[in-house]
Amino acid sequence: MGNEVSMGKKITAILMLVVGVLFFVRAMMLDFSGSKADFRGAMLIIGVVLIIAGLYFFPTLRYHRTIINIIFLFPLLFAFLVTVIIPLVLGVSYSFTDWDGIRMNNIVGLANYTKIFSQKDFIWSILITFMFVVFNMILVNLVAFLLALLCTSKLKGMGFFRAAYFLHNLIGGIVLGYIWQFVFSNVVTKITMTLIKDNTSMLENFRTAFFAIIIVYVWQYAGYIMLIYITGLNTVPGDVIEAAAIDGASPMQTLFDIKIPMIAPTITICTFLTLTSAFKQFDVNLALTNGTPSADFMGEYITQGTSMLALNIFQTAVVKDNYPLGQSKAVLFFIILAIVSILQVRISNKKEVEL
Amino acid sequence: MKKKVLALVLATAMVFGLAACGGGSTGSGDSGSASTGSGDASGSVRLLNGKPEIDEQMQALAAKYKEETGNELIVETIGGNTSAGDELKKMYQADNVPDIFVIEANQAANWDGMLADLAGEEWTNKTGFELVNDSMGTIGFPYTVEATALGYNKDILDKAGVDPSTLTSPAAWKEAVEKIDSQKADLGLTAVFGWCAEPADLGWSSGTHVFGQYLDAGLKADDTTYIDLLNDGGQIDTDRMLHFAEFVGMMNQYSDPDLLTTGTYDQQVAGFVDQKYAFITQGNWCVTEDKGFEMGFAPYAFEDGINTIIAGPPSYWVAYKDGNVDGAKAFFNWCAGDSAQDILVNQAGLVSPFDDCKYEATNPFFKSMNEYITAGNYSGWHTMLKKDGLQNETCQVFADYAGGKLDAQGFVDTIAQVIKNYYAE
Repeated sequence: MGNEVSMGKKITAILMLVVGVLFFVRAMMLDFSGSKADFRGAMLIIGVVLIIAGLYFFPTLRYHRTIINIIFLFPLLFAFLVTVIIPLVLGVSYSFTDWDGIRMNNIVGLANYTKIFSQKDFIWSILITFMFVVFNMILVNLVAFLLALLCTSKLKGMGFFRAAYFLHNLIGGIVLGYIWQFVFSNVVTKITMTLIKDNTSMLENFRTAFFAIIIVYVWQYAGYIMLIYITGLNTVPGDVIEAAAIDGASPMQTLFDIKIPMIAPTITICTFLTLTSAFKQFDVNLALTNGTPSADFMGEYITQGTSMLALNIFQTAVVKDNYPLGQSKAVLFFIILAIVSILQVRISNKKEVEL
Repeated sequence: MKKKVLALVLATAMVFGLAACGGGSTGSGDSGSASTGSGDASGSVRLLNGKPEIDEQMQALAAKYKEETGNELIVETIGGNTSAGDELKKMYQADNVPDIFVIEANQAANWDGMLADLAGEEWTNKTGFELVNDSMGTIGFPYTVEATALGYNKDILDKAGVDPSTLTSPAAWKEAVEKIDSQKADLGLTAVFGWCAEPADLGWSSGTHVFGQYLDAGLKADDTTYIDLLNDGGQIDTDRMLHFAEFVGMMNQYSDPDLLTTGTYDQQVAGFVDQKYAFITQGNWCVTEDKGFEMGFAPYAFEDGINTIIAGPPSYWVAYKDGNVDGAKAFFNWCAGDSAQDILVNQAGLVSPFDDCKYEATNPFFKSMNEYITAGNYSGWHTMLKKDGLQNETCQVFADYAGGKLDAQGFVDTIAQVIKNYYAE
C-alpha cells in the first residue's frame, strides 16, 4: 500500500518536473526567437511552478531539506542573480568586445584594457582618486573625531550640535554639489573680490578645485562618522576614566592612553567606511566640477582634471559614447574595490578577535 | 502534516508572487511589441521627443493628429539630464524602440541599417533640411530649424550708433565693440558680450556651438571642408583657428567677468533679456517670446567677409525600420502640413523648416534668421557631426583661455593637441 502511494507520488513528481522543464524551455526558446505569442508568459510561469512543485514532492528523504531550503531561498537568489550576477557577467564580457550599447560586431580581446592604460587622463584619474582617498581618510576621521569629542563633552545644547553636524549628511550629493558650486563661484568670489581684488573661483584651477571637492566631502561625511565615534566614545567604561582621574591623569593623557586605545575597533570601521565611500565618490564630483578644470600631467594637457574614477567611467561610457572602454574601466574599478573590501573584512575580523 | 501544508502554501505563495512580478513585465512588453507589430498605417505610432520644453505642445499635436486622421500618436518625452541617445540604447536592449525617435546627425552611424529610408515622401519636396545618410538614404525629418550666431540687442546697437549689417570683418567688429564699450555707462550695459565659457555645465555652448563657428562660419550650408578635416583624425586648420581664437579673445576681453568663467545659462540669458549685454553667444532658443526690444543675429566675422549664421535642424526625427514605418511616414506627411505647423510654430515657438509654412514664427530672432536664410547666407550645423563628446574636452580649453591661462596661440596649440588626442582614443 505505502509502496504504491510513494510510487504514484514519484510518478507525479517526475511528470511535473518533466512537463515543467519542457514548458520552461519552450517559453524561453519562443522568447529568444522573438516570437510575439501571447501565451509565452503564462507558459513560463506554469513551467516554473511545475518545476518547483515537482522538486517539492520529489520522494527523497535525504535531500528533502536541501530542496526545501533552496525553494525558500529561491526568491532572494533569483533577485540576486538578476540584479548582481548577470550584470556582472555581462559587464565583464562586454569589456572584451566593441559593443556600442546597440550592437556588438567584434570580439576585441584585451584591446580595451591595453587602451585604457595608454590614456593619460585615465592614469591621472586613478592617481587623483588615490590622492582624494588618502586626504579624505585622514581629514574626515580627524574632523569627525574632534566633533565627537566636542559632542561627548558636557557643554550645553549638545543635542542641537549633534543634529546640526549630522544634518547635511541627509542632503543628497547632487544637491550638495550644486549648492556648493554656487557658494564657490558666487559667494566666495564676491568676498575675494572685495578683499584681494580677485574674482577667480576656486573651481577654476585644479589645485583649489580639488581642495574644494575635499571640503565639500568632509563637510558632508564628517557628521556621519562623528555619530559612530560618539557611540564608540560612549562605550568607554566610566570607571576606567574615573580610575585614571584618581591616578592624576591629565585630560590629554586620558584621551591618548585610555579613550583612543579603547575605541580602536571604531577607528578601524570608520577608516574603512571613509576609504570605500571616498573611492566611489561620484555625485559631488559630478555636480560640483563635472571633471573641470584642466590639469597638467606628464607634459600633457588633461581636460578633465578633477574627474575621479567613477566619473571618468561614466563620462567614457555615456558622454563619449564609448561603452566597451567604459566597461573595461569599470571592471578595473570593481577589482580595486573588491581588494579594498576584502582587506577591510580581513582586518576588522582580526581586530574583533583581538578584543 | 500541518507544517508541511503551511510550507507548501508559503512556497506557492512566494512563487506566485514572483510569477506575478515576472508576468507584469512580460505583459507590458507584450503591449509594447503589439503596437510596433501592427504594421498598417492606421495603427498607433510612438514618438520619442527629446525636447522637454515642448512636451505640452507635442501632446496637443498628438490630440490634433487623432482628431484629424483618427490615428493615434503616443508622445514620450526624454530630456533634462537624461540624453535621448542613452535612453534609446536601453529601449533597444529591452526590445521597446519607439517608431519615431530623435537623433543628432552624428548618432546615425550607431543605427546603421536600422532606420527607414524616407526618400520620395511628399514632405521632402518642401524642405532642404532633411538628413541624408550615405548608407541609409533620407532618414531624418527636420522638425525645427535653429540658428546660432552672436545674438544682438538692436535697440542698444542703434543707440550706440552701430549698424549690425556692417559687422562682417574683424576690424569692423573691433571698432564697434570699442565704441559700445566706451558708452557702457550711458547705455546701462554691464558688458558688451554676454559670453560664458564656464565648462562644467555650459560646455555644450562653448564646445559645440561656439566651436561650430570655427567649423562653418562663412561657408555655404553644404560645404564640409573643416568638418571633414576634423573627422579625418582630428586635424585643424591652424590659420583659421588662430583667427577664430583672436575673435574669441575679443569676446573674453569685453565679456562680463562675473559671467565669463563662473556664470550659468540662466544668468547669461537673464543679462541679455534685462539689456545688460549688447550681444549673447547663444541661439534663437534662448529667447522665445517678445521681450520689448528687437533682436537679431550678427556673424562671427573672425575673417574678412564672413557673413553667415549657422542655421539648420540640430536634431531629427527618424523612423525605426522594424517599427510602424507606414504609420511614421503618414505622420511625417501630416506633420509637414498646415495644422501641425500651426501648433509647432505658434504654440511651441519652433521655426518651421518647410517652405510652404505660412506662419511667421513668434521667435524674436526669426526676422533676422529668415533674412539670412532667404539670402542663402547660412552655414550648416556640421558641429553636430564631430566625434561624440568632443565638446566636453574643447570647452575646457575655452575656459582656460577665458580665465587667462592661455593666449590666442596657446589656445590654438592646446585645442589642436586636445582634439588630436580625442580622435586617437
